[in-house]
Amino acid sequence: MTWCPEAADPAASGPVRKTLEMQDIKRPQRRWFVRPSSAYDQRSAMLFLAPMMLVLSVVAVFPVLYSFWISLHDLKLTRPHRVPFVWFDNYVKLFTDPLFWESVGRTASFTVMSVLAIMVIATLMSLLLNENFRGRRVLSAILLIPWAIPYVANGLMWKWIYDSGYGALNGLLMQMGLIDKYVVMLGDTAKTMPLITNAFVWKEVPLATILLLVTLKSIRADLYSAAKVDGANVLQRFVHITLPQLVPGFALVMIYESMMAIRHFDLFFILTEGGPADASHVVAWQVYVETFRKLAFGTGSALAYIMAVATFVLAYFVIRSTSRKL
Amino acid sequence: MSNIWNGDASRRDFLKLAAAAGAAGTGALSLDAAAQAGQPINFYTWSAAVDLVKSHLTAFESSTGLKVNYNNAPWAQYRDTMVTKFVGKAPLDVMWVSDSWLPEWAEAGWIAPIDGFPSLMKYNADADTFCNESMRYKGKQYGLTYYTDYMAFFYDEEMLKKAGIKAPPTTWDELLQQSLKIKGAGLSEYPMMLSMARESWLIEFLSAMVFSNGGRFTDADGAAVMADPKRGAHQAMQWVVDAVNKHKIISPACVETGELNGLKAFGAGNHAFALLSRYRVRTLNDPKQSAIAGRVKQALMPMGPGGSHATVGWMRFHGMSTQAAADKTRAANAAKLIEWFGGKAGSQYQFQKMLFSDLGSGFGVKELFRDPEVQANYKKYSDIAMYEAQQKLARKKDVIAPWFGEWDEVNGTAWQTAVVGKSSVAAALKKSSEAWNDLRKS
Repeated sequence: MTWCPEAADPAASGPVRKTLEMQDIKRPQRRWFVRPSSAYDQRSAMLFLAPMMLVLSVVAVFPVLYSFWISLHDLKLTRPHRVPFVWFDNYVKLFTDPLFWESVGRTASFTVMSVLAIMVIATLMSLLLNENFRGRRVLSAILLIPWAIPYVANGLMWKWIYDSGYGALNGLLMQMGLIDKYVVMLGDTAKTMPLITNAFVWKEVPLATILLLVTLKSIRADLYSAAKVDGANVLQRFVHITLPQLVPGFALVMIYESMMAIRHFDLFFILTEGGPADASHVVAWQVYVETFRKLAFGTGSALAYIMAVATFVLAYFVIRSTSRKL
Repeated sequence: MSNIWNGDASRRDFLKLAAAAGAAGTGALSLDAAAQAGQPINFYTWSAAVDLVKSHLTAFESSTGLKVNYNNAPWAQYRDTMVTKFVGKAPLDVMWVSDSWLPEWAEAGWIAPIDGFPSLMKYNADADTFCNESMRYKGKQYGLTYYTDYMAFFYDEEMLKKAGIKAPPTTWDELLQQSLKIKGAGLSEYPMMLSMARESWLIEFLSAMVFSNGGRFTDADGAAVMADPKRGAHQAMQWVVDAVNKHKIISPACVETGELNGLKAFGAGNHAFALLSRYRVRTLNDPKQSAIAGRVKQALMPMGPGGSHATVGWMRFHGMSTQAAADKTRAANAAKLIEWFGGKAGSQYQFQKMLFSDLGSGFGVKELFRDPEVQANYKKYSDIAMYEAQQKLARKKDVIAPWFGEWDEVNGTAWQTAVVGKSSVAAALKKSSEAWNDLRKS
């Protein structure tokens, strides 16, 4: 049985429909896919899917389950002969460690600060790029540069910029007359996190801008025309049309950037190694220290699981709170 | 047919037999070589002096007929890479080992002692004491030198002269006074360069400071004594904290300055004094790499009240894997390779000498200090008498234990916390001490 567009579309075949109803003849159902007609087809479909399912099981499902199993053991690579099963001791140990809660607080503040900054800057950038003006294409291309730079290269670049002895930022501030001698940058615990946040925001803004720009482009022009007819000014059109229509884009950016910020490691590794004096010790850094410096895979896996669950919960609530508007 | 054994053989018969015996002997030798060549020695190092290692390996292979599988990994990932290889039972025979990892690797049963190889142990007599001690754990020796060096005290002679200072400081207090004088003369904002970033170098800087203040992190039994205010650790940390916050002779950016950046800053002429690895003097006095070339001199490590000119020394050595040690042939071959690199190749310590000549790396062998070539080479950029004098005062780190890596994280943070003024010296050392004792108990 195949679907016939003419027969299924009432608008396109009004008289025909009437005739069919009168004759009480069952019309063909509108169907968007073809159901496998036999068990043989179903088996064939499964057969074709099997390799991918197998690959996914090996590279995704098994590691995820196995790392949870590891998190229930006191596994240290440097002590290979004794790997006791400790139930949830690793989780308890982490939850009772003040350093863990300090790093959770630092991660939360880094996430909030960076996501807020990204959203504000990306909104402004996308509004700008949504207008028609000379040089818009060039500006769009320039905007993509930070996005194209790999994370490690980005980190090294900012390390040079922030260096307290010869950094470009100090040089710029000196030339502008804002400081009279080079000041400590990453070594100053009060500045460490804001500086890392700045480097992270710089890297992430382009993608967020593109996502919001796509959302902006999808807003129907007749909404603005109707608002103009009703006498709405620019601000009113922005508040009552643009912002509500941008909500799906905001939700997407918020979820994606929050996940990126919570899990972010590269800049902390390259710029400060969690220092100075633990001033940039975030959860992702703690995962690295536990797993690769202390080679304690048990606590490292437990931490990674906590991070994964936190990210999942955050994404769930963001999606839930914005779903009505999506 | 004549019989060669009862004396009636002709000369032709003798020659035939000799030829047959020769052929058989050669065949047996080549079979042995083939058997050995069939099982190459797996040699793993970090990515340093790679070309030098390769050329020395080529010489080894042609000299012994043995084959070597050589691989390397960057220093930053070396420990993780090796641990993964050990756990995964990857084929390994000989590898470079840092003294910091020795207890960890020995306790895990990954590396084997070499005490059973007299051909290797004989070289101990030629080495400095701290070198041999750095390769020993629980009374057993685990390798032979790759290279060794120590933390040295350098000064910019010209800057001192400009400030009217005739001789370099001999104590930490003199260093403070001279630094204040240089700072006062406007010659340097921060006359003393000290790298305090959290990296593997940090414990070397801290140990040099503590040892020269007559202190210890741990006592002879391995118990933490760093928090004891009468010991040198407290004195050393207080000096650093005051130098940064009170006297401002060390930049507060020291907590973000790693060893390499410190070298660059000192080489750029920003400082009058610096603590750096001894082998850096070659770079510092190289006009192509340093703005203060020819002006950098080494002096003995300044001493604190009740201290000495002692410094910290470290050791990187060739170790043998347990899997190689368990197989007689593999162990014998591995020992040959270790001797070729860590001992004498031919009649001299060729590899250590090449490392020194080409890269300026330090050696732990006393007789090389008397080598005319070594002396002439070193004279081009520094003073070999000072090199040797300070090396005699070098000590092995007293915090090398299986839990060193975990403790080092806490200790590094504790020192930084005190330097940035977020905790007192006493509180920082107490935290470090408690972490040591907890890890020791567990």
